Amino acid sequence: MIRKFSPVFILFIIIISGSSLFASDGTTAILQAEHQLPEPLMVIPFIVLLLMIATGPLFYKHFWEHHYPKIAMGLGLITVLYYLIFLNDTHSLLHTLAEYLSFIALLSSLFVASGGILIKVNKKATPLLNVLFLAFGAVISNVIGTTGASMLLIRPFIKINKSRIKPYHVIFFIFIISNIGGALTPIGDPPLFLGFLRGVPFFWVIQNVWYIWIPTMILVLAVFYVMDSLNKGNSESETGKSFSGKIEFKGLKNLLYLGIIILSVFLDPAVLSFVPSLAPLPFGIREIIMFSVVYLSYKNADQEVLRANEFDFEPIKEVAYLFVGIFATMIPALQLIANEANVLGDKLNAGVFYWATGMLSGFLDNAPTYLNFLSAAMGKYGLDVNIKSHVQEFVNHDEIYLQAISVAAVFFGALTYIGNGPNFMVKSICERAGINMPSFFTYIIKYSIIILIPIFAIIWYIFFLGKG
Amino acid sequence: MNTIDESIKNNSPCLYYGNRLILPFHAHFLKVIIEDDILTDFSSSSKGINIKEEDDFTSLYFLDFEDLKNSVSKYESIKLIVVDKGKNIFDIDNHRKVAVYLEEKHKARIEETDEDILFIE
Repeated sequence: MIRKFSPVFILFIIIISGSSLFASDGTTAILQAEHQLPEPLMVIPFIVLLLMIATGPLFYKHFWEHHYPKIAMGLGLITVLYYLIFLNDTHSLLHTLAEYLSFIALLSSLFVASGGILIKVNKKATPLLNVLFLAFGAVISNVIGTTGASMLLIRPFIKINKSRIKPYHVIFFIFIISNIGGALTPIGDPPLFLGFLRGVPFFWVIQNVWYIWIPTMILVLAVFYVMDSLNKGNSESETGKSFSGKIEFKGLKNLLYLGIIILSVFLDPAVLSFVPSLAPLPFGIREIIMFSVVYLSYKNADQEVLRANEFDFEPIKEVAYLFVGIFATMIPALQLIANEANVLGDKLNAGVFYWATGMLSGFLDNAPTYLNFLSAAMGKYGLDVNIKSHVQEFVNHDEIYLQAISVAAVFFGALTYIGNGPNFMVKSICERAGINMPSFFTYIIKYSIIILIPIFAIIWYIFFLGKG
Repeated sequence: MNTIDESIKNNSPCLYYGNRLILPFHAHFLKVIIEDDILTDFSSSSKGINIKEEDDFTSLYFLDFEDLKNSVSKYESIKLIVVDKGKNIFDIDNHRKVAVYLEEKHKARIEETDEDILFIE
């Protein structure tokens, strides 16, 4: 029923919108100016969805597994109907639909293309090798995105450690490769790409974030190294085993597809003026290319590689359903937060921007969170996030706010399974391999609060406390 | 009655109907993975799986699934860690890691997992 409903629902949104309603450069900030703010009570569907994502697999797994698509779509529908009927606001819905399509196009294309590549590493697992692997993955995530790097590297990482794998291996993989690593370029993580589209120069991120990224990486990797050194696991059983030290790749043609995805990221009318806009459609040339890559890379993939990777669409299907609910239900939450941030903008310093952007990015989608706080920070100087020259002026004026927002939006995505798209997919792949992953709450309590929050607090203390 | 190794070597066919998987051997089950469900409770009160041993085969009923074919896709498998009945369960060398691939017409194929397949004991 849901599968039938979904396209009808999307079509409905498009039809009722009319051709002039979807502005490709529309933003939440503009929309708020034009439309009434939602009732605070309308954040309830979002809270309910978050709570169910957290508790479903834990307390009512069977029910959740069967009904999560209907629940996510149903809660999303409540918000959609509220915006249509009570606020008469189709702009916000269309804008969110466009962001969702962009999000799922990138994630699904990277998921399928990387699913056709097999990397075999025949080396003995040691804490040092793992640290080097994670550091390599962190760097690579700036080239192929955190999603691409996660999908490509999670299997070899598990295989290297198969005799001693513990949940913390996967959690640190999520921390480093699926999130923190991708803070250096706009390709790394969606919020930075959104900033790039708005006018933040491509190399601004690496020039201004590298000296925050390096100590963060060192701290997280150091904690991992200590924990991994204490894990003896079954490594004794590998003592007599010989390792060739070889690294083998299969399905290399899919690297071409990955390259196409990365290049297509730039095919946006806001970046390259010759790229045609498909407005009023809620997608562009970029999304068409990405969805084509999904089809072609799957159709032409090496069957042996797909079998070895146990390729299945279920993890991306799960992300697609849950995030359709998350994207829809979080519209009121983001608009209310953006409004508060704009009202209080003058009183907020870099530290507040860091923590507020970060904590919300851990539970909301980090891309719109980044944009809303960027808008609020620019409001301090009377600048508009929708005007490219204003963004560039803001970047040159005072980098501390953009640094705080950029770093927090990416780093804090590691706080929960829902903080960033690849987190959930990595979890699902590991469970299919037989690794018992921690629950939503255990992840937060045992890992995020104990390991990440203290490290993020150190970063705040050194770089942002009392500044701005 | 086939052993696990004989079943693999002879390509002995397995069957599936709805949520029931029929294996051509008797075994002690240590771990079963289907989708992202990791099953280790094989007691009679288990909520995830029910194992019934018949004269010449073993039936596995996956209680959280209505139809295995709808859940296990072409490149996926149901993974099992099993020990032949009569063999020492405490000897790790006797633990067999096998993957069951669902095919057409209710047939399933059993294979010992190779190094490529991610399968953590």
